[in-house]
Amino acid sequence: MALWGMVIDLDRCTGCQACVMACKAENNVPAVGPKESARGRTISWMHVLHEESEERTRFIPRPCLQCDDPPCIKVCPVYATYRNPEGIVAQIYARCIGCRFCMAACPYNAKYFNWRRYGTESPGRNPDVSVRPKGVVEKCTFCHHRLQKARERALAERRELRAGDYVTACAETCPTRAITFGDLSDEGSEVARLARSPRAFRLGEELGTRPKVFYLSETEGHRRV
Amino acid sequence: MSDSSPAFDRNVRIAQWTLAGFAVVFVGGIVGWIMHLIRTAWRLKDVPSASIGISLVAIPVFLTLLGVIVSVFWGLLTDRSAR
Amino acid sequence: MSDAVVERDRALFVPLTQTGRGFYVTVAILGAMILWGAIAYWVQFGEGLGVTGLHQPVSWGFYVTNFVFFIGISHAGTLISAILRLSKAEWRRPITRMAEVITVMVIFIGAGQILIDLGRPDRLLNVIRFGRYQSPLLWDATSISAYLTASTFYLYLPLIPDIAILRDHLGKRRWLYAVLALGWTGTEHQHKVLNRAIAIMAVMVIPIAVSVHTVVSFVFSMTIQPAWHSSIFGPYFVVGAIFSGIAALIVAMAVIRRIYHLDGYLKPVHFRYLGYLLLVMTLLWFYMTFAEYLTGYYGNEPEEMKVFWSKFTGPFWPLFWAMVTFNFVIPLGLLVRLGHHAISKTVVASMFVVVGMWLERFNIIVPTLSNPRLPFPEGHYWPTWIEWGETAGSFGLFILFCVLFVKLFPIISIWEIQEGREVGLKEVEERLRTYLPDEGSHPAAHGREKVLA
Repeated sequence: MALWGMVIDLDRCTGCQACVMACKAENNVPAVGPKESARGRTISWMHVLHEESEERTRFIPRPCLQCDDPPCIKVCPVYATYRNPEGIVAQIYARCIGCRFCMAACPYNAKYFNWRRYGTESPGRNPDVSVRPKGVVEKCTFCHHRLQKARERALAERRELRAGDYVTACAETCPTRAITFGDLSDEGSEVARLARSPRAFRLGEELGTRPKVFYLSETEGHRRV
Repeated sequence: MSDSSPAFDRNVRIAQWTLAGFAVVFVGGIVGWIMHLIRTAWRLKDVPSASIGISLVAIPVFLTLLGVIVSVFWGLLTDRSAR
Repeated sequence: MSDAVVERDRALFVPLTQTGRGFYVTVAILGAMILWGAIAYWVQFGEGLGVTGLHQPVSWGFYVTNFVFFIGISHAGTLISAILRLSKAEWRRPITRMAEVITVMVIFIGAGQILIDLGRPDRLLNVIRFGRYQSPLLWDATSISAYLTASTFYLYLPLIPDIAILRDHLGKRRWLYAVLALGWTGTEHQHKVLNRAIAIMAVMVIPIAVSVHTVVSFVFSMTIQPAWHSSIFGPYFVVGAIFSGIAALIVAMAVIRRIYHLDGYLKPVHFRYLGYLLLVMTLLWFYMTFAEYLTGYYGNEPEEMKVFWSKFTGPFWPLFWAMVTFNFVIPLGLLVRLGHHAISKTVVASMFVVVGMWLERFNIIVPTLSNPRLPFPEGHYWPTWIEWGETAGSFGLFILFCVLFVKLFPIISIWEIQEGREVGLKEVEERLRTYLPDEGSHPAAHGREKVLA
């Protein structure tokens, strides 16, 4: 079974936000408008964090880290969020009761709430991704619909799923190729190779959540982010 | 209760037994619900140990409650019919 | 209402028989509060939680604070009443009923906060159909339903003989009282059944009550968030709950005493004893708070310290220091020496404690959410009129429930007061005798005789 993961090279990231825009378009992530945004309700499955300190400034693109031991799924009272066998943490919008416990439990703030009815069915939407109703939690799914599509195509062509068949929108878009996506369980894959790099680290490693999003940074002597 | 008519008495009795029935169904329903949750967890392989562990405490508590409720309703209501 | 027995406790029947203008004014004010809450909820139901001040990352605010607060108040009752009953404290007689009523009424309101807080209240039944026991929210659901059932029944049991008195003497609402009295005539068998049930319930209700606030705290402490993930949270919340519960009880006692002129029943001594309990809880609360914050401070873990400083000197400092003042400084100052002002001092202290404990819940929930681990901008939460409205509505509904109860049932247990006069006095004397050295036999003398022989 595949184990999907991502490596983001912080030394390459320019903070251009292309991944954010690609994600929004791909996943029908609603634009909440300036008023709501000012209230702190922007939904951004892929969010570029901006860390500034005296010695440096850097950008940390943060999708859902797809933890292997996610704190969010443990607390969900209705099984609306769970880890699927391929390691993707899924969110069932039709099941979610909107208690926001998973948001409170996620140490990475990767979960977003539909405070109002932001998303609407309209032309230009990606038909592969459902539009979320108000009152439910949503988050990055590693563009799971792309996996389904890739798998169906492979099935139609009577072949196995190949590396590169399934890539997330952010990884596809990144102009500096800072984002690599693939199967971590495949030892030979690019993503698995990079994840083993001495430059690799994970956010909040000490929390024991075992994220499947790795970061690369030359200067990551100071693990603190 | 000297001036009460038989019809009044009968209606009161019916209401009392309905009340008792409601209490039993309510607490019994909670026990049934907890068992349903164990079954769901078992079928989904979703940490059934947590469900079973908690139920081991919760179900006896509700059953004791049920026991006390039944004993009170039974004890008081049948005592009156014997009178 | 001619019976001599009834005549003696006439004052206790006054709330049931006479309805003054004050009652209607109170109900009107409470109704306005509830209306405000209802309108707020209506708007929120239609538009979504966006009408509140909640946002990313502060996704829990007033509603969850209210949930913890109200469930905390519910510990007033049952716990105090059960402990006093079990320890045979005779001064409990006029206050147990009130404590139990507060418990039952407030727990409905507390559980209702979850419904208000949900983004999709229409899917509430999902919790019943697909609930998972891995989630602390389900622990809450189970524990609170046990507490709700147990404390409702525990309120009802000692009410039965009183309802029978009302059925036989009041002349109003006979149908209601006849049904609820369960045919109580005061036979020996009935007394046996009732007393046994009360005894079992009093024992049962204590662990259930403790479990309730423990699992409420687990909602926070089971996560790995800074300043939440703390092993002390269970007992800390239970202590806070009992603390706020006693305070709420004292306030309620004072109000009822004032309105219905029950000075003869709720005497300074009752306030004095509850004041001592409150003092103990103040000290315990401070001890717990001190332990909790010192551990965080000394450990000096960066994420923990962000939350710590946001409370001590950061944006939450007014709320934090108000909490310390209301929960510790003021009650301690007032309660250490009650002197001749037992009632006024305990009541003032209690009012501060009720507010202070609400602030405590807020100070636990919001600062942690406001300070995410990753370099997000700090969250600023400010409630809108919706949250204020639903909070006002919740308080209004809670008080209205209590007011209606006082209109329908005796708020001071009539039969237990009578029992106190008839049986209690003798029992206490006999019990006291068993504490003292046996008369007639002098063990020392016996010993000497033996030695001499």
